[in-house]
Amino acid sequence: MNPYIAVAALVFVVGIMFTLPLVPALLELRRKSDALPLSVVQQNAGEIRHFANSFRTYINGLEPIILNCVASGTADTGTLTDGEKYVVLGRVDEPLVRTLAERDPVHPVLVVSGVDLVVPPESTFSKDIYTRGQFEGGERNSYRAILGERNVHLGSASRVLRWVHAVGEFTADFGCRLYGRVSSDLLIHLQADCSFLRVNAPRIEIGPASSSAERARQDGSGVPKSLDPSPGASPRFFHDGDFEVLAGQIVRSNIVIRGNLHIHSGARVCGSVKSVKDMVIEDGVSVEGSAISARKMRIGPHCAIHGPVIAERQLVIAGGTQCGTVDYPTTVSASEIEVEEGVVVFGTLWARERGHVAARL
Amino acid sequence: MFGLWLCAMIFALYTIVLVICVYTARHYFFTLNRLFGFQRHPYIDIDTADWPPVTVLVAAHNEEKVIANALSALMAVKYPENRMLVVPVNDRSTDRTREIIDQFVEEFPGRIRPFHRTSGKGGKAAALKDAMELVDTEVILVFDADYIPGAGLIKQLVAPFFDLEVGGVMGRVVPMNAGTNLLTRLLDLERSGGYQVDQQARMNLRLVPQHGGTVAGVRLSALQEIGGWNENSLTEDTDLTYRLLLNGWKTAYQNRSECYEEVPENWPVRIKQIMRWAKGHNQAMVTYSLRLLLGKHRATLRERIDGTLLLGVYAMAPITLVGWALALGVFYQGVAPLHGVIALLSLTAYAALGNLAAFFEIAAAARLDGTRKRICLLPFLILGFAVSIFSVSRAAVSQLSDLMTGAEFHWDKTERFRKAL
Repeated sequence: MNPYIAVAALVFVVGIMFTLPLVPALLELRRKSDALPLSVVQQNAGEIRHFANSFRTYINGLEPIILNCVASGTADTGTLTDGEKYVVLGRVDEPLVRTLAERDPVHPVLVVSGVDLVVPPESTFSKDIYTRGQFEGGERNSYRAILGERNVHLGSASRVLRWVHAVGEFTADFGCRLYGRVSSDLLIHLQADCSFLRVNAPRIEIGPASSSAERARQDGSGVPKSLDPSPGASPRFFHDGDFEVLAGQIVRSNIVIRGNLHIHSGARVCGSVKSVKDMVIEDGVSVEGSAISARKMRIGPHCAIHGPVIAERQLVIAGGTQCGTVDYPTTVSASEIEVEEGVVVFGTLWARERGHVAARL
Repeated sequence: MFGLWLCAMIFALYTIVLVICVYTARHYFFTLNRLFGFQRHPYIDIDTADWPPVTVLVAAHNEEKVIANALSALMAVKYPENRMLVVPVNDRSTDRTREIIDQFVEEFPGRIRPFHRTSGKGGKAAALKDAMELVDTEVILVFDADYIPGAGLIKQLVAPFFDLEVGGVMGRVVPMNAGTNLLTRLLDLERSGGYQVDQQARMNLRLVPQHGGTVAGVRLSALQEIGGWNENSLTEDTDLTYRLLLNGWKTAYQNRSECYEEVPENWPVRIKQIMRWAKGHNQAMVTYSLRLLLGKHRATLRERIDGTLLLGVYAMAPITLVGWALALGVFYQGVAPLHGVIALLSLTAYAALGNLAAFFEIAAAARLDGTRKRICLLPFLILGFAVSIFSVSRAAVSQLSDLMTGAEFHWDKTERFRKAL
């Protein structure tokens, strides 16, 4: 071979090899197909009711049809502008709801009820449900999402795949699986063996419903509120290694422990507590600030925590414990949460991976 | 004599290669942790609480192009109005910044208390220090004027302060002008790598997430304990990170607390910015590295090691250049056993400059961000790397010469590119 051609070929091949990786880069630079700023949630603050509010806006156009159906006591069907099929119910019609559930695997429809909605057991709805009246679900049902303008009650062993919001009270009977967001503007009851992820209401009751007298007692008591809501405004007690707060002891500072923290029964901490390892809070303890553990935390029974309760790994809350108060709602969060019957949380209960209601022993 | 010189060169080269290998391993460790490890976001779920009063400082020096956006966004955030006070820190502006701020004060009575500074030492830290006279809340958040916080950002940045170990908080910065030109696209990738992988991995591993000085917060009692803002520092954020750490406070990184910023759109501005960062970082390295590594304080062993490595990232640029020069010098002396070292150096050098050229990190970050095509631009990062290595080295040399001549550091403000409202 001619040496000049060989050299030229070599230069050409090397040139190709050098520029080849740049071809996709040059194309992308020119086309700008992925040049928009990364999506940052600007308009909503991750509110739990975001989907419910969006859904309410989405079906807003059905208002005249709902009113008409309710006035005439009939049902109507149609298609929304985006092609979504719907059924509007103007009266309590369990047989029609059963028919809709039976047709769901082939013809799923959005169910919009202007009155109470009673869903027979073992039904599946793979589209969202809206009801202006009470929602009464049978046992072993499966739903995608529910928005109820009054109370929502799920029968035992039911499942909600995305979200449910009740303007009134929400109740999930024994063994329900709540995979997404659950919220209520009033009250949430979760019965034993329910699983949950993110739950929010002014008051969340685990297990059997409290009596109104019991509620009034809890609403009025709880943890005495610190004068200064600023976290860390009080002095900080710092300790390397494990630490114990003795039974009945009153601690007037914040506690930061670089080890395991054990707060014995009846102690009172007028501040917040943090442990870098496990934290055990025994019965009858009250904490006026937050309780945060970088590993596992066990609380209760009959404790009262005012501020946020965070465990990075696992959190177990025994019955009779109260987190937050009606005036000062809070967040209880961990990767895994197990709450016993009798726990009351005011605010948010958020299990990142798994939340479970355990029957009281 | 010559043999001695050669031995010294070989020893220096081996040392440099070793250090570069440590940084490379660190990058891979962080990236693998981010891809496969346990992810820590302990405070992001706190959405309901008795929210504490907070002061939001907005640092502004000739920011007429951007300050209105920042203040509008802050007035729209979801935080109890009676518990949030915005303090625009107008630092000796000579443009319309003051006028714009005063318009907002009139429009939102009681929610904005301006701090107009007309004299005093230059620089953000000095301005923040003076503005502290208006601060009486335990939680302080800081934004630069070109940042546009979303509705939920304030709560997200306040939430970590419920943890009493936390003295500082840092959110994630996302360029909003990413698509403008090649430079902004490269900076977008670099920011992704730096925050999505580097910062979050340090959070996961309980190392030293860095306070960025903006989209950030600090606890007043912690700040007072460490002596307030350091007006002599060119990078008050790095300085703050280390002083907090040395005093037993943690900096928490919130990867999901994202905020738009504007990145430089031309190379001279970028070079000036990175030179300032390099000088400030090196200043912190000289001040804190030995104390952090060997001193008696509450930092853990892993924090000591990571913190020291973090302090050294900007020093790696001149060190790598020296390594390349030594490798060439030694090679032309015909020292045969160095083949392996030179190969190792060439293999690792491109990945060894902290947040300047971490290709693997950036590729992983692009994947974690769910972006698809922007990763194609990865080969162009070599351009950013080349600019950075020489700019950072130039900064180090100029810093050394300033030290010898006794010249004072001065603070350069980063130019804005947005059109004024």
